[in-house]
Parts: sequence; structure tokens; C-alpha cells
Amino acid sequence: MRDLIQLKKATQAALCLECGKCSTMCPLARFGGFSAARMMSIHEPEGEIHGHAAAVQRCLTCGACEVRCPQGVRYTEFVRGLRVELPEETRWSCPHGAVFQESARWAAEGAVNGRNSSWLEDGLAVAEEGEVALFVGCLPLFDVVFGSELEVQMVEIARSAVRLLNQLGIEPVVVAEERCCGHDLLWSGEEETFEKLAVANTTAFEERGVRHLLTTCAECCRTWRLDYPRYVESYQPRVQHISEFLAERLEGESLSFQDLGEAGTMTFHDPCRLGRQLGVFDAPRQVMASLPGSEVVEMERSGADAQCCGTPGFIQCNRDSRRLQTQRLASAAATGASKLVTACPKCLIHFRCAQAEDRLNERQAAEIQIEDLTVLAASLLTIDKEAEKDSPSKR
Amino acid sequence: MSAPVCEIGGGEAQLAGCSLLIPDVQSEPLPILPVEPAPCTQACPAGINVKAYVSLIAEGRFAEALQVVRQHCPLPGVCGRICHHPCETVCRRGTVDEPISIRSLKRFVADLAVDEAPPAPWPLVDKDAKVAIVGSGPAGLTAAYDLRRAGYPVTIFEAEAEAGGMLRYGITEYRLPRDVLDSEIAYLAGVGLEFETGCRVGRDLQLEEMLEQGYVATLLAVGAQRGRPLRVPGAEACAGVEDALAFLRRVNQGDRSPVRGRVVVIGGGSTAVEAARSALRLGADSVDILYRRYREELLADEEEIRAAESEGIAFRFLVAPTRLIVEGEALEALECVRVGLGEPDASGRRSPIQIPGSEFRVEADRVLAAIGQAADLEFMPPEILAQVSENELLRVDPLTTMTGLQGVFAAGDAVSGPATVIDAIAAGHQAAEAIQHYLEEGRPSIAPQAPELRAPLEYGLPDSPPLTADRGRPELRSLKAGAEFAEVERPFGEAEAVEEARRCLRCGPCGECRVCTPSCRRRHIMVRFPVGDGSARRAPILLRAPGSIAMSLSNQSSTRAQLLPESRPRLLPEVAPSEGDSVEVSPVRVQIVEEQCRGCGRCIEVCPFGAITLSGEGPDSVARVEPSLCRGCNLCCAICPTAAAEPNALSVTWWGSRLADAFDGRAEAVNEAGPIVVLACQRRAGSIEPTLYQHSAHVEVIRFRCVGQVDAGMLVELYRRGASSVLVAGCLTERCRFGEGAHQATEQVARAQRLISLLGGGQDRVRSDWSVDRAGDPIETPVLRMIAEVFGARPDKTGRQPC
Repeated sequence: MRDLIQLKKATQAALCLECGKCSTMCPLARFGGFSAARMMSIHEPEGEIHGHAAAVQRCLTCGACEVRCPQGVRYTEFVRGLRVELPEETRWSCPHGAVFQESARWAAEGAVNGRNSSWLEDGLAVAEEGEVALFVGCLPLFDVVFGSELEVQMVEIARSAVRLLNQLGIEPVVVAEERCCGHDLLWSGEEETFEKLAVANTTAFEERGVRHLLTTCAECCRTWRLDYPRYVESYQPRVQHISEFLAERLEGESLSFQDLGEAGTMTFHDPCRLGRQLGVFDAPRQVMASLPGSEVVEMERSGADAQCCGTPGFIQCNRDSRRLQTQRLASAAATGASKLVTACPKCLIHFRCAQAEDRLNERQAAEIQIEDLTVLAASLLTIDKEAEKDSPSKR
Repeated sequence: MSAPVCEIGGGEAQLAGCSLLIPDVQSEPLPILPVEPAPCTQACPAGINVKAYVSLIAEGRFAEALQVVRQHCPLPGVCGRICHHPCETVCRRGTVDEPISIRSLKRFVADLAVDEAPPAPWPLVDKDAKVAIVGSGPAGLTAAYDLRRAGYPVTIFEAEAEAGGMLRYGITEYRLPRDVLDSEIAYLAGVGLEFETGCRVGRDLQLEEMLEQGYVATLLAVGAQRGRPLRVPGAEACAGVEDALAFLRRVNQGDRSPVRGRVVVIGGGSTAVEAARSALRLGADSVDILYRRYREELLADEEEIRAAESEGIAFRFLVAPTRLIVEGEALEALECVRVGLGEPDASGRRSPIQIPGSEFRVEADRVLAAIGQAADLEFMPPEILAQVSENELLRVDPLTTMTGLQGVFAAGDAVSGPATVIDAIAAGHQAAEAIQHYLEEGRPSIAPQAPELRAPLEYGLPDSPPLTADRGRPELRSLKAGAEFAEVERPFGEAEAVEEARRCLRCGPCGECRVCTPSCRRRHIMVRFPVGDGSARRAPILLRAPGSIAMSLSNQSSTRAQLLPESRPRLLPEVAPSEGDSVEVSPVRVQIVEEQCRGCGRCIEVCPFGAITLSGEGPDSVARVEPSLCRGCNLCCAICPTAAAEPNALSVTWWGSRLADAFDGRAEAVNEAGPIVVLACQRRAGSIEPTLYQHSAHVEVIRFRCVGQVDAGMLVELYRRGASSVLVAGCLTERCRFGEGAHQATEQVARAQRLISLLGGGQDRVRSDWSVDRAGDPIETPVLRMIAEVFGARPDKTGRQPC
């Protein structure tokens, strides 16, 4: 058991002045009944923190509070630490029958080894071993659960990433033994299971000689870059979100895009894990701006102040989530943009879900097209015929 | 040992901690509070459950239908004839063609009981306080009926020789035959109402004497039996002018002396029309009714008016008498004036204004005045007379029906002025409730505000209403010489009544007829409702299960119950509570955790019972489960993305304990070949479980109310925990009692198969089976096939070779 005092020291929660600035930023505090500041003042001796379980589990861990904290309290880490200590029964029922958590737990146990890569299609070139790898994540699983209902094809994100990388002359390594990154388990307090996943994933990628790992998911990116090194010190590849990788190669590389035409106005939703937690704000905007005919407009609350999409991973979904999604979609629509672009498949699913629900219930839905950055860029790619001829076909 | 939790509802009771169920529990009426009763039921002033008895008649269950009527109406035969039927006015069948002839249906079932011997008295008389009811009209009889049913000794004091009040002396025989009235009064005397006829309170018995005799409360239900005099010069002295009510009383007492010449009736109420039709029957040459307002403002019932017109009675509207024209002793004519209408008066109707110079003659040999009625309080002591209002009616607190005198209540026409029989019955109910409350609590109860009537059309019409040939009320018999006072309205025959009742559109939820409770075929658990089931005290219900459980249930989420003798069959001995144990009972219903609900509406799509609605606006909307409609199938729980819909029947602990059972008490199966887990609905699991358990080393059955509750997460979890195979087995859509269970479970199984395949598992190890073969072994075959595939030829723990 970790000592509460140790946790407070480690996350600087012990320095909290109870000034309340965190609550001014907290999206949940606006709905009432949730006080970030008050949670800082949990002083109970070890073992009695479960009195605060409801509040601790309700936190979105979006990190908006940390932006304004004068004391540098690492609030999200504090909450995550508390969740490890809290008894299992206080954990929230995970959405969708906990199907993703169950899948992750299963993968962690090593009962299965590897994943089906049937999402790959002709014309996409990937490698068995090499320097640069693509971490696919749970995209194929999302299609099973949401594909028909939300009319999404999440594996298209992975395909798009490969397409873009191929255009840059890179055949990314796709690792068959890849497992769920474990983000949701880590953030709901299942540290031990998470550690198994961290070990399994790092081992698999190390064996393939990967030195540079790309993700299309903000949460996978954060997990690999910030969380895995705490559990696996021996192997630490360079981890980048694909938008960062692309942004570095926009100048003088062989990427050329079609003109967006009339649908060029777009706005960007900063995923909490990518923006505030990894500090990646500019890269996705640079990629968007590089698309011919594009105009990037900003929503109210963007960048470091960006409002969470309402559901971190698939950890919790409730009335708060719905309110946040509705607000966010309304802000996006208010910019007049025709597209809301995001760089996290989960943000995309959550927003699409809110839109679908509005239609289901015949409510006024925010009419804006929600797109993934990787898919958008790849869809506009002008394929260099010469390059295609030279590139090897699918392995 | 803490009391086991028993969950009940939707047809089963279930003890927590074990998967065994008490099947076919008849708790159906339990969650059925009249949330939105049918318009007819809402419209009945007396609260008769109209829809219930119409439904029962449609099924040919006439005696039960009559019982339903008698719940709220002591005079079914009377109401079946002379009620002005507000229920029919709002009947939605009227929007299709003609409303159901509800009144005639009631008459039909009431008539079947006319010749029956009076019933045995109700056994329950457990209260000391006696109640005196003064007057035996519908209000008095109803109050007496309710109070006697609640256990109070009741005596009805009637000034006349026979009971019935206005029903006997004001309503004519051709509308209400005397044998019907006599039989209903005999029924009431039979169940235990005491009648003291020929006893006029104030003359033959003083109020003080009644107190001395132990009558702690008195209800004055003396009616409005005194006709108001015609305010025309010379009317009192003129032999040709008579009070219509006095005339009717004579006729109804059997005086059939002929009426000669031209008769003019003045007034527009029921009394005027009755008197006119009686005069016609007694031989009058012509009968005219003069009324100072419009036809639309006639107070008499529309059907009566039309019957009168069809018999040849002429109505003259906007006319008022001003003078009697007398030749010698004999009345010659009436001088009348035309009337215009002025500003609306207190009743909301425009007040008549005489037009000067418009005088004209109406020839008349006899005038019957029916221009208003007042309470006849002759012989009443001064303290009662002090309670009389300026319009000569008794003054009461309208909320409590108590007069200014402690313990003296009043109800019916004596308070309201002349009204309809069903209004009098409603007033009787209110007074009885107030008196009971007064006797128990020392002060009368306050009547609850009548609920607002929903617009009848808010109910959607069924796609194809059960249309049969247009019917209405049976036609009237025409007047025949020698049988003038025979009943004019023809009754329904049995076939006609059933056919008519089948036209009912069955608006609203269950009709709450409750006939299912005592007649439950399997007699597992019956629900007994408290005696004197007034809507206000509906909540506690006694459940009795011969050979199993008896418990007191409220409609709250859970309550305590006690086991009675002969309990505990069908329950595992280790969890079955023993006699006298306290058991917690909670209805099987889905509950919505509001803060978890994102108002997505998916549950509404899957609910087979239309029990879920969204309340609130936009992002703040939440799902709401209507407990009276929810049957606990839990299909919504499987589809709910946020776990806001919580199954009450299968809690997390239940699932956890079943998992522990399935994996032999360990969190996960340790050996490579874990158990085959069968998730089955109760219907399919029940009969084959013993066979399956022969393979107990390998097979675990987890029962669901409906396998539509299973979601992909559960299946992956079972697989993760080491189930070697998972089989979901339920009923085909056409046989699923929740309709969509199979469809939903199939989808979830397909989803789990794809997930497992993506994760590198063998997807054929999760299967579903929807065997149609009823006679055979619906689950056994696919499971045995699975066992063979999974375990090959290896013997199981018992050493047997699996097939």
C-alpha cells in the first residue's frame, strides 16, 4: 500500500494552498457537486480514503486544473494514485459492459498472444522489423462495438497512417504481438494488470528492433511516452503521435495534398492526453494548416484550456460526459467550421456518439463533421504514381 | 445470519445468493398502480374501474365483472340504468364510431345477479363506534356500504316505509324497475347493512337518543326531497298546480289515477322530464315542458330528453310562466312570456330575462312545477337547521363533508342540490372516508384534489381497433297500452354484451381487475388486497403463497416480509428462510442511476413494454422507468452504454457469486479446460438442468430472466476467466416472452465472437443456441456437442465418458 502522505508529496498535492483556482478550470465543477480543490484536502489516514471514492472516481483526469495551479500540483497523478488505493467495488461500471477493459485484462494475462491484422489492405506496405513502428491500438475492437451503430470505420485510421508513412518512404513495423496499451486500466487503478501490458508491449517492440514508435491515438501516445518508462526502464523508444511526426516532415518532403475546396474551414479539438499532458498543441494544427485550402479556426477553450470530450478512454460515461460533449460540439459548430478534427480515436467516438444520440432522440444536433486528423490527411494525399510503382506491395 | 433478499415481480420471485426461482409468482397486480387509468375509469365520479369490468365482460367473466363494479358501487343495477355515464362521454371508441355502451354492460352483469339469494353478511365487524346514516338514497347507501366494509356497524334510518330514497320515490318504474331496486337493497341488507325504515330522525328518534345508543357519527343523506313552489300569483291555492316531485312520489307509491287533459310541466331537470313522461303514461292528452333556457341547457340527461321527445312530449324553450288563468275553480291556461338571455349567472349559464309585451297563452288543465328542490329538514332540531344555507341545503365543509356540528356529516343531494345518482355515490364515498378518518383519528380526512382528467386522445389509437358492427345502446321499447310503466330500455343479451365489450380499445395499462390474484392457476403466490381498498390506502398488499411465502409488499422499492408456515419449497435448503424469518422483498424492476444516465434513448428502443421514457430537456434528459410497465427483462441493461440501467433482479453481487460458482470458488479457472458455461433464460434452463449437472465437472448454468440481458463484456469476461466454451441459450423471438431477447443476445454473441477473434481467441467457443424443439432437450444437445468437442474423449471427473 502506498502511503497517502507519500502520494501527496510525490504529486505535490501536499503543497496545495486550497486557493480553488483548479475548480475554476474544472469542467465538472461547473455542473456542481464536484470540487477539485476539496479533494486536495483529503487528509484521512491511510485506509479511510474510500469516503471520497465517489469524487475520486468521478474526476475526468483531463488535467485542466493543473494549468492554473500556482503550486504545480500534479492533480491527475494524485487522483490516479488514489484510485489504486481505492477498493475495487468503488470503481465505476465501465461503459459498454466493460468490454474493452475485459479485453485488456485478457490480453494482460497472456492467454492470447497477438492480434489479428486483417485490417491491412492491398497497397499498404508494412514491415516485420525495423526502426519505425506503428502502434495500432484498439482500433479494430472499436469497429466491432461501434462500427454499425455510429457508422465509423476506425481501422481506417491505421490504414491512413500506413498510407502516409508509405508516401514518406517508410514501411512501418506492425507488431503482431501488440496488446492494448492499458491506458484505461492504469487510469482506473488496475496498476498490476497495466504493468503486465507494459512489459508485454515493450518486449514485443524491442524484439522487432523498434527505436521510434508512432501512434494515432493520443492516449496510447501518452501511455507509451510517460507511463511505460516508469515500469520498464530498459527499453524507451522515441514515442510520437503521428501528427508530430508529420509536422516535422511537412517541409521539403514528398507529401502533397489535394485542395480541400469549399469544406476548408476546420477547428481542432485538443485531446487532453495529447495537448495538456504531452504538450502537443502545434503539430496537429500545422498538419491541418498544410492542407491546401484549409483554414484553421479556434474554438472557445482551445489549446491548454481545451475542454475534455467528456470521457477519458472508456473509463466512465455518464450525464457529465453527455453535457460536456454537447457543449463541445456546440462550441465547434459556433466557429462556423465545417469539420471538427481531432487526433484521438476515442474523442472521435465520443463526439460521434453524442451526435448519433441527438439524432436518435430527434434533438437538434450540432451539424459538424467530426474527423480524425490522420484520416483527413491521408484522404487528401495525392499519390505519386512513380513512387507507388517502386514501393513494395504488402508484405 | 442476515435475512436473505428475495426479489419478486414480473412473474418470479428470486432469493439472492441462489439461482433458484419461485416461478410464476402472481405478483402482476403488484406494480400496477393506476398511473394513467383509462379515460372511462378516470371519468367515473365514483371511481368504478370501468375498463376492468368491460374487459372481463369481453372475456365472458360476468360474475367477476360484477365484483369489480361492486368495489366502488353498491348499486350496479341502478347505475346500469339511470347513470348519466360520464364514462361513455369520454370513451375513445367514440372517436372511431360509437362509444362503448358501458352503462348497458353494467346493467347486463347486474341483472344476472337479480335473482340470486342475498349474500352472507360480511364477517368483519371489528369496530365499536356505530355510525348512523340518515336517509337511504344512493349517497347514504354508499357511505353505509363503505363503512360496513371497513368493519363499522352501520344503521340506516329511513323515514319512508321502504329504503331507496329518491331512487324509489323520484325515479319512475319504467326507468328503474322496483324489483331491481329491491334486489340491490336486499343485497346490501344481506352483506350487513342495518335498515330502520319508517323512522324519521327528529320525529321518531332524536339526535341525542342516537348518541346515547352509541352512534358516534351521523351522516345526513336526506336528499333534496322538497320541491320549490312555483312563484306565480295564486299558484299555491290553485288545485290544478302541483309540485312535480310530490306527483312523482304518488305515482311511484303506486297511485295510478289517470291524468286528464293538457299537462304543462315547468322546469328543465330530470324531475321535469320524469314527471312529464309519467303524466303521459297516466293518460294526459298532451304534455308540454316549458323551460326558460335553451335546449342545450336542459339539466336532464340527453338520452332522457330524446326518449321523452320520441314519446311525444313537446319542449318549449325560452318561456317563463307569469300568471295562472283560472275559470271558476278550474285552471284554464298559463300566461307566459318570452325570455331573452342576459349575462351569465353564478352557474355560468346566461340568466333569463323576461321580454315585456311578449305574453302569450299556453292552454293547461294541469301544471306540474319542477323548478328546484331543497332539503326536507322537517322535524330536524334547531342545531341542524342552523346548518342550512340560504338555498335551503345543508352546509358542510366541502373538504371534509362535516357540518358545523362535531361528528355530524352530510352528503348527497341534501348538500349539492339535485344531482345524478353517480354523483351521490361519489359523495357517499367521500363522506365514508371522512367519517372513518374522524372515528380513527378524531378529525375528518381532507378529500384529495381530484386529479386532472387527461385528454382522452392523448392515448394513441391502436393500429387496428377491434371493429365490429356499429352498436350502441339497445333500442328503447315503444310505449304500449297496458304496460306503460314497463321498463323502456331493452337489455343486452349475453352474446350482444360480449360483442359490445369486445369493441373496447383497452386504453391505458392493465385494467387492475385483479381477477388474476385469487384465480392464479398454479396458486404459488396470491396477492390479497386490503379490505375497503380505497385508492388512498392501496399500498400494502398481503402476498400469500400456499406452500411458499407470504409477505407484505408495498409498492416501494423494497420491504420486509415474513414467512408463514409451510414455507420453503423450491428453495435450496441452505438459503431457504425458515418459518417466521424476515425476508427482504424487492420488486424486480430496472432502476436508472440518474447521474450515470446520458439520456441517449437506446433503452427506449429496446424496451419491449414501452416502460421507458426520457424526461428533461437536451443534455439533461434522463431515462425514467415506469414501474407499472417494467417487467424486469433487463434488455435495457445490456444496451445501456453507461450501466445507468441497473438490473434489480441480477445485481453485481449476483453475477459475482455466479462467476465464483462457475469457476469453482476461484477467481479464474486454473486447469486448462475450464468449465463450459451456459447462460440460459429460465424458461429453457429449468427442465434440463438436472441432466446438465451430470456433467457438473464441466458445465455451469447461469440463469437469466432473459438472455437478452447478456452483453459482450460478460462473454469476454467468462472467456477471460477461463471458460472453455460459452453457450448462450434462449427462446426464439416468436417464443421469447420479452420479444426481443433473442435478437439482442444474438447481436451481443456476434460482437463477442468478433472481439475474441480479433484478440486471437477461438471465436467458435462462444456460441448461441435458439433451439425450437420444445419436446426435446432444448439445451442439452448443443451443450453435449460442445462437451464432446472441448474435452474430446477424455473422461470427466466422475470418470464417465462424455458423449
